[in-house]
Amino acid sequence: MSPRRTDAGGRIDRLRTIRFTFDGAPYTGHAGDTLASALLANGVTLFGRSFKYHRPRGVLTSGVEEPNALVTVLRGEVREPNIAATMVEIYDGLTAVSQNRFPSLAWDVSAANQLGGKLLSAGFYYKTFMGPAIGPLKSTRFWMFCEHFIRRAAGLGRAGTAADTARYERMNAFCDVLVVGSGPAGLMAARAAADQGARVILSELEPHFGGSANWSGETIDGMPAADWAARAAGQLEGYDNIRLLPRTTVWGYYDGNTLAALERVTDHKERPGKGEPRHRYWTIRAKSVVLATGSFERPLVFPGNDRPGVMLAHAAERYADEYGVLPGNKIALFTNNDSAYRSALALKKAGAAIVAIIDVRPELSSEMRELADEAEAKSLAGHAVVATEGGKALSGLKVQRFDMVNGALAGDPRSIQVDCLLMSGGWSPTIHLASQAGAKAEWNAARQAFLPPKATQRWIGAGAFTGSFSTAEAIAEGRAAGLSAAGGTGTPAALPVVEAAPGDPDPAPVFEIRADGKSFVDFQHDVTAEDVRLAHREGFISVEHLKRYTTLGMATDQGKSSNIAGLAIMAEALGKPIPEVGTTRFRPPFSAVSIGSLAAERFGDLRPERLTPMHDWHVANGATMYSAGLWYRPMICGLSGETIEQAYVREARATRESAGIVDVSTLGKIAVQGPDAAEFLDRVYTNMFSTLAVGKARYGLMLREDGLAFDDGTTWRLGQQDFLMTTTTANAGKVMQHLEYFLDVIWPELMVHVTSVTDEWAGAAIGGPKARAILAACVTGTAVDNAALPFMGIVHGKISGVPVMICRLSFSGEMAFEVYSGAGYGTHVWEALIEAGKPFGLVTYGLEALGTMRIEKGHVTGAEIDGRTTARDLHLDWMLSKKKPFIGSAMMDREGLIAPGRLELVGLISLDNQPLNGGAHIVEALDEANPHDSIGHITACCYSPALGKYIALALVKDGKARRGTRAHISDPLRNRFGPVEIVSNHFFDPDGSRMHG
Amino acid sequence: MLITCPYCGPRDVIEFTYQGDGNRERPQPASQDLDAWNAYVYNRLNPAGDHNEIWQHSGGCRAHLRVVRNTLTHEISSVAFTRGEHKGAARHKAEGKI
Amino acid sequence: MVERQSPLEPAPLEPELRTGSHGDFEHGIEVILSETRPGSILQLVAWPGQEKELISGIRTVTGLALPDGAGAGSTDGVRSVFGFAPGKFTVVDEAEGLASAFANVVTPAIGTVTDLSHGRTAIRIAGPKAEWVLAKFFAIDFALPAFPVGAGRSTMHHDVFAQIQRTGADQFDIYVFRSFARSFWKALCHASEEVGYEVQ
Repeated sequence: MSPRRTDAGGRIDRLRTIRFTFDGAPYTGHAGDTLASALLANGVTLFGRSFKYHRPRGVLTSGVEEPNALVTVLRGEVREPNIAATMVEIYDGLTAVSQNRFPSLAWDVSAANQLGGKLLSAGFYYKTFMGPAIGPLKSTRFWMFCEHFIRRAAGLGRAGTAADTARYERMNAFCDVLVVGSGPAGLMAARAAADQGARVILSELEPHFGGSANWSGETIDGMPAADWAARAAGQLEGYDNIRLLPRTTVWGYYDGNTLAALERVTDHKERPGKGEPRHRYWTIRAKSVVLATGSFERPLVFPGNDRPGVMLAHAAERYADEYGVLPGNKIALFTNNDSAYRSALALKKAGAAIVAIIDVRPELSSEMRELADEAEAKSLAGHAVVATEGGKALSGLKVQRFDMVNGALAGDPRSIQVDCLLMSGGWSPTIHLASQAGAKAEWNAARQAFLPPKATQRWIGAGAFTGSFSTAEAIAEGRAAGLSAAGGTGTPAALPVVEAAPGDPDPAPVFEIRADGKSFVDFQHDVTAEDVRLAHREGFISVEHLKRYTTLGMATDQGKSSNIAGLAIMAEALGKPIPEVGTTRFRPPFSAVSIGSLAAERFGDLRPERLTPMHDWHVANGATMYSAGLWYRPMICGLSGETIEQAYVREARATRESAGIVDVSTLGKIAVQGPDAAEFLDRVYTNMFSTLAVGKARYGLMLREDGLAFDDGTTWRLGQQDFLMTTTTANAGKVMQHLEYFLDVIWPELMVHVTSVTDEWAGAAIGGPKARAILAACVTGTAVDNAALPFMGIVHGKISGVPVMICRLSFSGEMAFEVYSGAGYGTHVWEALIEAGKPFGLVTYGLEALGTMRIEKGHVTGAEIDGRTTARDLHLDWMLSKKKPFIGSAMMDREGLIAPGRLELVGLISLDNQPLNGGAHIVEALDEANPHDSIGHITACCYSPALGKYIALALVKDGKARRGTRAHISDPLRNRFGPVEIVSNHFFDPDGSRMHG
Repeated sequence: MLITCPYCGPRDVIEFTYQGDGNRERPQPASQDLDAWNAYVYNRLNPAGDHNEIWQHSGGCRAHLRVVRNTLTHEISSVAFTRGEHKGAARHKAEGKI
Repeated sequence: MVERQSPLEPAPLEPELRTGSHGDFEHGIEVILSETRPGSILQLVAWPGQEKELISGIRTVTGLALPDGAGAGSTDGVRSVFGFAPGKFTVVDEAEGLASAFANVVTPAIGTVTDLSHGRTAIRIAGPKAEWVLAKFFAIDFALPAFPVGAGRSTMHHDVFAQIQRTGADQFDIYVFRSFARSFWKALCHASEEVGYEVQ
């Protein structure tokens, strides 16, 4: 039998034993246990070491707000650090280890940090490591020296290096009413809203619905509250308009009543089901929200309040009632309010001895005196705990008379032998989500707590969240909130009847007992009350500065248990009331969120792939694929043993000698249709399209509104009112949006429709001296000779039974044709062309050869149309019509855009016969040691088989005037320096005789 | 943030593309008034409060919308097609404070 | 006639994407995935003020009456139509050649016809968990009252545009760009694993 397990009670399944390990030692627990409850049941008191001082720490809470008992959970090679033991459901094989200790939890060398307390006080980092380098022990350089040691000593768990193999998913949900929290208020709200016919989501961050009903020991409708809650939750399961989300933390409240939640789907399982995600990231769009998130009990600040064995009162009550575990056998309580008395009685009933109830208040109500008597506890009113004793477990404490009006201690300290001290410093409503949603919280002096702000989004609060701490109020408010959220009105049905211990919800305004010794405010970040006062003495008066200087509230628990006490101590130091000091606004997330869940389905494969109709053919025929944006395109169609350069040089050479074919299906294609299509194109392009005959294509250039070059491509006139525009692959989406914008916003009177038809067509560009002969061999239904198919002409025919549209245009500079067919016939047509090309030495080529031939021809692409160049810079000014205005025409001649000294497109030839590099700078005079005075840069480069030289396109200052001169490549990053000749960008066949045929 | 597209209904902002200040007026195409062109291309209002904006529902119906959005609170007080009302198409009225 | 090639086969797909049961199917198959391969997918767009004429033209050709309202649609199992944007409709037919049937009905005065029969791939997801699986991808409300049978929606999943028509209480036809179809199909299979799925 476990040393601290009660004989009966709790919601654990005592018939099911679960085996797990902690720091390598085997333990057992029961189904329903958390790691914290199971370890407590085994008599474990020491859970971890603190952040800075390596003080031994136990478990403070029983829930999500736990600052101390953080562990690392191991799953195979994957380690997840900084998980609250209170939130880990045990399963067979669970492997957890403690953190921030070396070499072991029980014997930790860095615990000596406690002795050097002054050194590690607030602002330690700033004071020691920032500022000017005066002497050896100051400055950031010193920090760099010390960082390794400090990082090792301070901090929490260690992140793993193994890839996370778990699956994460995102889920979108819509509902009328989202109820956050499933205590009595949440259960009532969900039921009330669902009864109105609303679509309801009920989320609960714990595994079980019921909240405080699961451990309050109260009676609802004549049955134990836990049974009532189980019955109520069971009834909700029967509603098909309620979705129940256990183990789901709503962690963010965003604009438009959009909430983010994390569902821990499989963390409690030995292994996930097939295809089951570990976490689901829910985006919930709720018409309205019921916030029934309850409240957090606050610790009291006094010397030694962090010793293992010191715990929040309700947490101990919960361990006893919900898990059947006594956190101690001889228990004392220390409180400033009535709720601890109920906890005392619960623990007494569960079998513990209640030694004393120490209350800062001088006078107790008769009800509290009766409860103390019933718990057989010595009642010490007007007293305070001033010290705790023990090492890895509590052995006793000291109390003194206390005057809560002035905080003075009097009389001799008395020792009390206990193994557990429970504290209650009052309750803070869990207002995080409401704060995220908008306005500032409001201080309530009676409750000594911040209450939720006025709603700035569509939410309604209920229960302890609103400061109504009794279950009867929670039930009434819950139903009312559910009704209201669903747009219903009150029904006179009787509310469930609650029998509960009496108690005043208002605590005494006491947060700290000032006595000798370290009194912790923020347990996880080791921030003491003295640190807060030190910050004040050093001039930090804003709560925001206090937070950053001391790191109060900035640990993984985000100050859930420490914010109010820290604020109260600061307020006292400032001599101001708490509301004047203010509080920081809560930001998402409410509690830690796995990064995997945020990446969700984008984990691993970040982007969808776009494949052309001939993709599988390319792969099957040995092409090396290359990702260009989302598209996958053949980079080379290499033969075995070829390098990339050998492959593209062979492909380009063969194309110029006989013929080559390349997949151009990725080109953006936009159908431009309607009576005003030609007029629209005249406005969009710099050149005329209204004059284009049906059955002809024209090369077009678009500018942006600011007059800079935007995109280029050919547009085909398929009918009087029917154009097919092509764009560069990379700009297809941008051009489409550009056209849509002008049609929708600027010229809504134009009758034009634009539609993306990129995916409708498979495109194959076939070029070279033999290209026409190859087409003639396989095309039926039309001639392809010069008369039928002149340059920029379009014909319709068939290839191997499939309708095709052929346009004679050239990117390679060869006699070339683009053959378009329905995408579903793409591979069929492609194979027919390959077959027809066999006798003619047709090669398939990829992006590298495509790029090589375009560089040889001096055509521009996105590398040159880079958002900074004008049409003139690219020598495309011949395309700027003077007969009509067009987009960019008014702005393209601005002073700076026509001034001398602009970067202009040129060709470069490597004079040392060595390769050139993209991005390399061009200089007039070489200075390898101190490169300077760049006159331009390389945009694209290759080995040119046509010229037998390494060549490049470049943008060079006043480039046109420099043709025929020499310059140098200056590329210090790649250590490439060398002479080049500046030439025209039209390296090869400048008069186009090859393509015009 | 949700934008209530008059055609598609309330959709997540991720489906929309911001297309700039809706107060700008494009000069007549043939205008040579460089100041007017400069103002149109480069000047943007940046009010703290209600702002007229153009959004495209690029991840939905692709219509451009005139949106009045409060830059301080993200409250959207009206949404309309830039092309004017489409007959029989408008289903969703902006819900005002969301 | 040459048969059209689908982007989903005969590609060398991963084995679990082939016809048959996959994922957690031992606990039941809750989603069925298939490619419907319609012969015709058209986009019809009316000029402002010509919507009624276009809708009546659609009725003439397909026999399908469009209900009023944005995103409204209708299906008879062979032909389907739905609005996806102001004045814009997708019309689908099992048979090829629908574009020529509209050529004389949708005159230039009424609007435009754009043939997308090759450019869009139609993927059907059916079964009790179809809504659940789709909710992983799209931030739209798939519940029946919000998304009635016959209705269409335009939305996106990251870079993948999708038009979705509900063709049954638990059946949706998703039209995606052909080039994205395989990538999206794989993602759909992956997301369906936990509920058990069958590829037909």
